[in-house]
Amino acid sequence: MTSSSAFRRFTLAYGLAFAVFYVVALKRDLALFTVYPSLGVVLLGTHHSQDITAPSMAFLAPAMYWYGWTATAALGALVFGLVAAILPERWTQRVWPDWQWVVPAFAMIACVYLTLPWFRLSPGFAK
Amino acid sequence: MVTALLIVHGLVAVALLGAISHQALASWATVGARPGSFFGRFRSVHAPSFANAVVILYLASALLGGIIYLYFRVDIRPGLEQAGHWQTLGLFDIKEHFVSIGLALLPAYWVCWRRPRPDEPARLRVALTTIIAVIVWWGFLVGHVLNNLRGFES
Repeated sequence: MTSSSAFRRFTLAYGLAFAVFYVVALKRDLALFTVYPSLGVVLLGTHHSQDITAPSMAFLAPAMYWYGWTATAALGALVFGLVAAILPERWTQRVWPDWQWVVPAFAMIACVYLTLPWFRLSPGFAK
Repeated sequence: MVTALLIVHGLVAVALLGAISHQALASWATVGARPGSFFGRFRSVHAPSFANAVVILYLASALLGGIIYLYFRVDIRPGLEQAGHWQTLGLFDIKEHFVSIGLALLPAYWVCWRRPRPDEPARLRVALTTIIAVIVWWGFLVGHVLNNLRGFES
């Protein structure tokens, strides 16, 4: 097993696993941390604005989850990639055919699907 | 400050758009174009040489976008929500999801272009390049629409 082939397996496994973990994190709202940019606060885990302030004041502390979702997926994909890198190449050769790109493509479609509720809101809707 | 960052972000995105478009077209069809035509010249580039530039520009663009996003969430997005621009915000959410997936694909993309194996099918390389091209084009267009709708200091 050469280091370059292990690195190759890591990169491919990481990219594919990240796409899957990201969709799961998005669907299940699994952010590794939550950012409150107006307060300059970062909290571990998923927190909603109502958790740290009164519901009527939630607009003053908007929460951001994108960084946390990305970190969650990156962490999961890192483990997956490292496992793929240490596995014997003959095992992964069966798992890595030239159709691997389908996984991120489907993950992108899943992200679009999970975002569809935004498009059903009417202009007069107040969040 | 944030306006300057946004302008740099836009310039980096333009460079990235050019690089990935050249490479994607070159990888889709390297032969058959009329040599003298604009399209033929556009796609008759040495595709592997664009890989490093694409990775660096993508990382720079994502980093700048990630910083600007903090200001966007506080200063711009509440106004868009109050105005009921939900579809636009949905398009932006898709952009952020795509950008994350693209970031994670960069190592595999780089390996496919810069460390290709003789037995490796070209399909994977072409597909990864196409996915990243779609992400870059989507990000650029949605960012442009959003900035036209309500840019910083508007």
